[in-house]
Amino acid sequence: MFAYVVKRLISGVLVVTLVSMAIFLLFWYGPSSPAQPICDRETSNRCTQAKLAVYEKTLGYDNPVYEEYGKFVKGIFIDRTLTIASSEYECTAPCLGVSFRTKQPVKEELISRMPATFSIAIGGAFLYLLFGVPIGVAAARRRGSVADKALVSSFLFISSIPYYLFALLTWLYLTITFEIPLFSDTGYFSPISEGPWKWFSGLLLAWVALGIFGCTQYTRFTRGAMVEALSEDYIRTAKSKGLPARTIVYKHGLRAALVPVVTIFGIDFGTLLAGTIFTERIFEIQGIGWWSLEAVYGKDLPVVMATALFSAVVLITANLLVDIVYSILDPRVRLS
Amino acid sequence: MTDEPELDPNSQQAKEIAGKSPMRIALGRLARDKIAVVCALFVLFFIICAVFAGPICSLFGVSLDTPLASERVDGLNSGLPKPAMGPPDGPFTWDHPMGVAPRTGQDNLAYWLHGCRASLMIATTAAIVASLVGVVVGLLSGFLAGTVDKVLSFFIDMFLTVPFLLAALTMAPILNERFNTSDNYGTIQKVSLIVILSLFGWMGTARLIRGEVMSLREREFVQAARVIGMPTSRILFKELLPNLAAPIIISVSLMLPAFVALEAGLAFLGIGVTDGVSWGQMILDAATPLFFREYPQYLWQPMLGVVALVLSLNLLGDAIRDALDPKTRR
Repeated sequence: MFAYVVKRLISGVLVVTLVSMAIFLLFWYGPSSPAQPICDRETSNRCTQAKLAVYEKTLGYDNPVYEEYGKFVKGIFIDRTLTIASSEYECTAPCLGVSFRTKQPVKEELISRMPATFSIAIGGAFLYLLFGVPIGVAAARRRGSVADKALVSSFLFISSIPYYLFALLTWLYLTITFEIPLFSDTGYFSPISEGPWKWFSGLLLAWVALGIFGCTQYTRFTRGAMVEALSEDYIRTAKSKGLPARTIVYKHGLRAALVPVVTIFGIDFGTLLAGTIFTERIFEIQGIGWWSLEAVYGKDLPVVMATALFSAVVLITANLLVDIVYSILDPRVRLS
Repeated sequence: MTDEPELDPNSQQAKEIAGKSPMRIALGRLARDKIAVVCALFVLFFIICAVFAGPICSLFGVSLDTPLASERVDGLNSGLPKPAMGPPDGPFTWDHPMGVAPRTGQDNLAYWLHGCRASLMIATTAAIVASLVGVVVGLLSGFLAGTVDKVLSFFIDMFLTVPFLLAALTMAPILNERFNTSDNYGTIQKVSLIVILSLFGWMGTARLIRGEVMSLREREFVQAARVIGMPTSRILFKELLPNLAAPIIISVSLMLPAFVALEAGLAFLGIGVTDGVSWGQMILDAATPLFFREYPQYLWQPMLGVVALVLSLNLLGDAIRDALDPKTRR
């Protein structure tokens, strides 16, 4: 077990390193010059060759790429000072660079955007399970009935529609056509300074859209796993012992069926934490996804780079945790 | 697919089964599946729209040309089309069967047809490329095993941890910065979109093929081929590949709807096709509160296009998977 965790950690670090190198190289060789966007921005699109050279020099883009990558990695562990043209910016460890637009350290902005994305992710993921698992269990218990067939086919229909169109329609109809007051003001409001109710109502619509769409997958999954679990021998034993139906379904059946659901949930939750771009864009929630879109439109390369790295790290961690939790939940799984 | 059930060769049943290839059995099953037939007809409709976008446009007398906007839209009425142009304020007109776009006055039918073409072209090309990469990687890693398999599996896992959307998001500003002054920026955008879609779409196929190959590798016909000294490349492509037709068809048919949805989604975020013609861009344009309230058809046209195409491709993919699976005898 311990050896496995160490092995997975090492491969996780290796993947993060490779991904960060890929991203760094992309930003180094991709644009005509890595300093071009900031030069355009600072000089209001009157960037001359001489000015560009100044930016390249101060940002270190005239050095070899591996030297700068080394500096970037070092900055994650030790404070560094970044120079853009004539001004210097302190960047405390872990340093992810300085935003081209706001000139703030990227890390601080990233942290300030986290509560919004995390709120969406936690609420949405909670609804996945809250709707998905009980509906799946109910469908499995009534397998083959009209209600089960209707549910399965209607959920297949919903999950075949692209998510962003579902979310967009939800937003357009509920806030614009029907003008439901509860959903009128979507967005992220700090629960501390603006009150928990404002926070709740601002995110409610996003949660509902995410929850309803995502729960279809969980329903299908729970249903499948439950049908399989309920046909096991130990369920028959439990039935012949005369245990109440509730105990059989929830204690004997569901516990076994939940293991694969937990795996998918872990990865989905990680994906949500890593960025809910469409949800944030449609419901106008200023989280990490919104921020990275803004950065893309404004060609704010350090921010784009930081968000890509951040989500890669979150996803890799989520994958690792899921594998470990899986081995604890299901003793039959041997890690090697 | 390879193991035919053993039957008495003289029985009536055996005579009926004889001479039917697995593909023909699957096709027969598909033809009997009503949902699959309806979906296939829908997909055919979209393919016809995409292939004959030009002739259909000239048939209706519409074009992609940008008109003098003031002739068609009413600037005082927040850029909505004039009543003579059809909905939302006027009656249906054959000049513009699907109305014109607010603000720009471009014809919706022409844009819809060419959006369908862009969508299908990008999705199909990307699905073919991604499947090719996936099949080759899966074949190599499953058949060669050992170190090659370890390295390739590591790359499969690595690509799986990078979310596609973020990769596209990361590439977008770089491509924009580098090429936005270029004359064929639109083409470059489409090509890079195909590259990104295939770069992050091959892993599923590779995993599937790898698993299949690993079980096929131990079968007698492969061992026989090895014994008679067939070169590895020949074993891979002549012996193994024909047995992988079913998983390849399934993965392509499930990849297509995902790519259609992603293409429109990226355009909706403003990072896919941005200066060409795309359903996603039309949706983005129409999804403002004002236009949606006054002119919902403008949103519904591209939206229905995407939903119907993705839905029918998805359901058709599921039906193909069921038809090719020998376990689901219906």
